[in-house]
Amino acid sequence: MKKINVIALLLFLAAVVAIFFFVDSPTTRGFQTKVMNILSPFIRAGAVTETEVKHAVESPLDPGELRRENERLQQKVAQLSIIAEKYNSVLDENNKFRTLLNYRQQTPLKLTAARVLRRSASNWWTTLIIDKGSLDGVGTDCPVITESGLVGKTGKVALNTAEVMLLTDEECRVSARVQGTQIKGILSGERGDLEVRSDLRLRFIDRMAKIEPGAKIYSTGDGGVFPAELFLGKVKSIQMRDVAAEAVVEPPMDFSLIEDVFIVQLETGGP
Amino acid sequence: MSIFYYIAVWVLLAFSFGAQEFLPAIEFAHQARVLLPPVLFFCSSLSVSFPVMLIFAFFTGFVWDARHLPYRPDKVKFSDTSEMAMNGHAEKREHSRGNLPPGYSIVLFGALGTVMQGIRPLFKRGRWELPVVMVGVATFVWLLIEYLLMSFLRSRFYFPEGLWTKITTDALLAMLAAPLLLYCLHSIARVLRFEARSEGLTLRFHGS
Repeated sequence: MKKINVIALLLFLAAVVAIFFFVDSPTTRGFQTKVMNILSPFIRAGAVTETEVKHAVESPLDPGELRRENERLQQKVAQLSIIAEKYNSVLDENNKFRTLLNYRQQTPLKLTAARVLRRSASNWWTTLIIDKGSLDGVGTDCPVITESGLVGKTGKVALNTAEVMLLTDEECRVSARVQGTQIKGILSGERGDLEVRSDLRLRFIDRMAKIEPGAKIYSTGDGGVFPAELFLGKVKSIQMRDVAAEAVVEPPMDFSLIEDVFIVQLETGGP
Repeated sequence: MSIFYYIAVWVLLAFSFGAQEFLPAIEFAHQARVLLPPVLFFCSSLSVSFPVMLIFAFFTGFVWDARHLPYRPDKVKFSDTSEMAMNGHAEKREHSRGNLPPGYSIVLFGALGTVMQGIRPLFKRGRWELPVVMVGVATFVWLLIEYLLMSFLRSRFYFPEGLWTKITTDALLAMLAAPLLLYCLHSIARVLRFEARSEGLTLRFHGS
């Protein structure tokens, strides 16, 4: 082997060792954020192109049907606005009573609406890219929800985009409990989302616990990442493992069809 | 003129990360797609010298990990009954050791690029058959090692059918893209009057 090749190999190995052992997590996160910021315009442009191509390929819809659909949706919006108004006034009243009774005020949730740009191009991690980023106040590890339940949590955040690690990913773990019981465990997905429609797994539950199929699973709020009472899915079956039992849980939604989400920003509530 | 060729390939590699975001995925093959930066790296490994290949491996691996590896997730606390039942496991999970460390792709690309260097003489002769097959094999091996590493770190080996569909489709797509990329590299080499020397690591090739 030539001397220059040996030197190159040694330098390469030294650089790899330096990355493995001397680059700490914040520095790595900094690099990842910078790369996301650089690639963010490409991600957005890629998503727009993909959508345009999809629309061009899809058969055109009947304009009359679209108009009727639009009218139906406008009526629905008006109806929901009234309900939201009533809900807000009830919430205000509720908070006022809590303060009067000197209860610890419930932590309010600040929701930021975001649109799903596309599914991320990662190999083994099930992630989505959304159109809100740090400029919109989105941070890392913010829970992401829809009206059907928990979607996941934010991961890498760029200025105008953010990556959402889905609930179906093995690395997205949620402290969960079975509705109406004290049975708790950790809910997570399967590796790589390589099934047709991945189920979730509620792990580390007591072997003696009695859980009926169809029981609803909610977040406990214990982990500090996800707020309590978020719907996570329904139990399909129970499997006994060596040390603990494991429940197979049907996810709250089909994650491939999600278009709009809400990012939850936890605010510290007053006394 | 070697330096201009190396710079041109490096610019192409950098650009491929942006182009990757435009490439669609195949839904029924579990989001398989052309993995442009790695495929371009494997192709370019055939044309450059060993030290330059290592520099490209470092660059490609570093940016790939920065783009695709998730942040290390924050810990999730266990409580009450679950903690009592699984105390040992809870501790492990809290430190989240299941994630691949940033930089692992650099090692994989460096190792696979070294294997690709063995067929550099074929690039010089303009042959594409074996290089294309090798690009597919390298992609397959890279993805499989990545998955095995992840399984090892998460202490659970799990091989669903979809895994093989995804990896094989990725490798086949890489083989489809490889002739085009090799043609591009050949064209750039011709324009910049770059002659791919074929000293390899130990072999010397004297054919034309």
